[in-house]
Amino acid sequence: MKDVITLLRPRFLSFKNKGLLKNKSGRGYKLALFGFFGIFFWGGIFIVSLRVIGYFKEIEGFGDILTYKLLSMILLTFFSLLIFSNMLTSLSKLYLSRDLSLLNSMPVPSYKIFIARWIESTLDSSWMVVLYTLPVLISYGIVYGAGFIFYGNIVLVILILSVIAAGISVILIMIVVNFVPANRIKNIFIFIGLCFFLILFFAFRFLRPERLVDPEAFSNVLFYLRSLKAPAPLYLPSTWAFDSIKATLSGHIMQGLFHMALSLSWAGIMVFSAIIISNAYYFKGLSKTRTAQVRLFKYNYSDPRFLRFLPRSCRAFMLKEMRTFFRDQTQWSQLFLIAALVIIYVYNFNALPLEKAPIKTIYLQNLLSFLNIGLAAFVLITITARFAYPAVSNEKDAFWLVKSVPIDLRHYLWIKFFVYFLPLFVLTEILIIATNILLKVTTFMMALSLVDIFLLVPGVVSMGIGFGAAYPDFKSENPAQTVTSFGGLLFMMVCAGYVGTVIIIEAGPVYRLFMSNIQGRLLTVIEWVWILGSFTLVFFLSIVAVIVPMNFGEKRLSKMLI
Amino acid sequence: MIELIELTKKYNDFPAVNGLNLVVEKGEIFGFIGPNGAGKTTTINMMGGVLAPTSGAVMICGINIQDHPKKAKSKIGYIPDRPYLYEKLTGIEFLEFMGDLYGVDENTFLNRSQGNLRLFSLSEWANDLIESYSHGMKQRLVMAAALLHDPEVVIIDEPMVGLDPLAINMVKSLFQHLAKEGVTIFMSTHTLKVAEDICDRIGIIHKGSLVAMGSPEDLKRDIQNKDADLEEIFIKLTKE
Repeated sequence: MKDVITLLRPRFLSFKNKGLLKNKSGRGYKLALFGFFGIFFWGGIFIVSLRVIGYFKEIEGFGDILTYKLLSMILLTFFSLLIFSNMLTSLSKLYLSRDLSLLNSMPVPSYKIFIARWIESTLDSSWMVVLYTLPVLISYGIVYGAGFIFYGNIVLVILILSVIAAGISVILIMIVVNFVPANRIKNIFIFIGLCFFLILFFAFRFLRPERLVDPEAFSNVLFYLRSLKAPAPLYLPSTWAFDSIKATLSGHIMQGLFHMALSLSWAGIMVFSAIIISNAYYFKGLSKTRTAQVRLFKYNYSDPRFLRFLPRSCRAFMLKEMRTFFRDQTQWSQLFLIAALVIIYVYNFNALPLEKAPIKTIYLQNLLSFLNIGLAAFVLITITARFAYPAVSNEKDAFWLVKSVPIDLRHYLWIKFFVYFLPLFVLTEILIIATNILLKVTTFMMALSLVDIFLLVPGVVSMGIGFGAAYPDFKSENPAQTVTSFGGLLFMMVCAGYVGTVIIIEAGPVYRLFMSNIQGRLLTVIEWVWILGSFTLVFFLSIVAVIVPMNFGEKRLSKMLI
Repeated sequence: MIELIELTKKYNDFPAVNGLNLVVEKGEIFGFIGPNGAGKTTTINMMGGVLAPTSGAVMICGINIQDHPKKAKSKIGYIPDRPYLYEKLTGIEFLEFMGDLYGVDENTFLNRSQGNLRLFSLSEWANDLIESYSHGMKQRLVMAAALLHDPEVVIIDEPMVGLDPLAINMVKSLFQHLAKEGVTIFMSTHTLKVAEDICDRIGIIHKGSLVAMGSPEDLKRDIQNKDADLEEIFIKLTKE
């Protein structure tokens, strides 16, 4: 046990030593910001859960069936998430981390290295899922007026379920790594996980849950509810957790503790099995992964003539970005996800039951079209956050090249800007045109949407590149994750503020213009002044949104020590 | 060719490089040695334009790198101690990338890239992704790229790390050949034998300041021991 604690110490010390950083005031702001968002999100889940569970429970006849079914689904989702998250984290921690060579050169048995790494991996992959599942379960306790034992029980049950998920994941990983090297499994798992998620999401979306508000469809709902009474599969650990929570919720304490003890015994079996298997297989798998990759791919040199028109330095960086992007398999799954996001987004507009709304269709169509500018901009922000924001961090340790070549940072950042601006601009315009066609909006609204997107895209992309340059992380193994850092949060907040401001400035003038068009009346001089003033303001705001973030990024990046 | 004037770099209050003054002439090979943490890499990073000095100036071919970074950098071939590269490019694509940034024209690029790949024994690997290269191969690729634009000044940090004896021999001959052609070479190294073999002058840096400078003979004179080798000189001058 002493060896395991020693192996865990570097992690603990790195965490503790963060406090020794010179820039403590900046760290305080970051902590406060993350803390605020964390509590805000936790509180949001708690309030929504409380309302939903309370509402379900009140439904006469099948309130309890619904709430318990929901609980069983939540626990199953929680368990699946834990399994997936544990698989990815344990793969990285146990097989791909850079410090594994050092650890394995030490006089410590490999199973102890395994235990230390597994503990780290379980904590890393479970803490967030556990933290954000608790408000839902606490809501159950409040709605059902459960006693103190219930709250103690949910904490234990959730922790035990996390250990079971970690055990199943790590055993699976240890077996699979012996057949396929870990570095390739990771991509495969991400891809499979993504496919699984998308299939579920598409299936749910194409069921059109909005029809549930339609009374004509209600007979089908009743039929569906009857099927809810079917018991959950007994062999799933999430079912044992469900049985324990359900029992304590309804006051059957002993029964609840019995199911909890059953889960605990299985968790113990998982822990011991994982350690025994690790003693036999962990080092073998690790050696297999460490075997040098030789000549996986050969790429014959080709001169892409379609970029010939560009200046040499632009062409160099564009080619580098394109080649790097398309040869990195982790990006492919992201592209796949974005394609799904776009399809769902467009489909939602196609499925809107506008004709059943109490407001006149023409107003609703054009109101939605106006709001759609903001929605499309938020899709744009999401994609920018994933691709443009990490663009500078993607240089990783090779950033010295950018600093040493005869090209200034301003030029470099603008090249990055255009690399991402062009595809994002085309994508967002396609999105807005497609949804406007589905909404059958007026020519005026179509033109307004196109112009607005034309103005918004450069600002959002500039913020992505600018904030990404101001807060880069060249040491990150996965720069795409840098968006969850302080700079990424700042980027998203400023972007959302910018898009929101544009929408608010334009809302009044657009309404006047639209109504005068519908009513066939002329606008007054004051209305014209207001409209022109607003659009001029949006125009200048968009110019500022392009220039200021780029300058900010350049200034901070030039001062950065590498 | 290279002039460092009162060059200073402070990390917070700690002076990593403290008022460094030196001149390296055209066609000279200058060796820069010193203990770990003496300020060698910081000096080299400032000379390569990778790091901004706190005060003082770096002049490359008479151009201040702070005032005209683009012009000064186009005259430099910079080789860092750790060859971090774009792993998803192939060797030849990386050379093309560097050629484009330094404005090497197409015909020259075709000739020089093939020539440099041959020189550094990388022709066979030119179409493989850099991620499959060993440390030594990456180091050789960086060298091949740094020489692509025919630089007037080569700044190189630990040139021999990761290279096999054959490659070390080749690099030593190459530097001597380049110096004869008029290229100024500034290299930091811990391999004192290499410094002794090929450098015209050697500078010893300790705690951010230059403690001795001159030809190996000058340094022996300084410590009043004409039989001393560079290792003894180094130990004597940097002993606490």
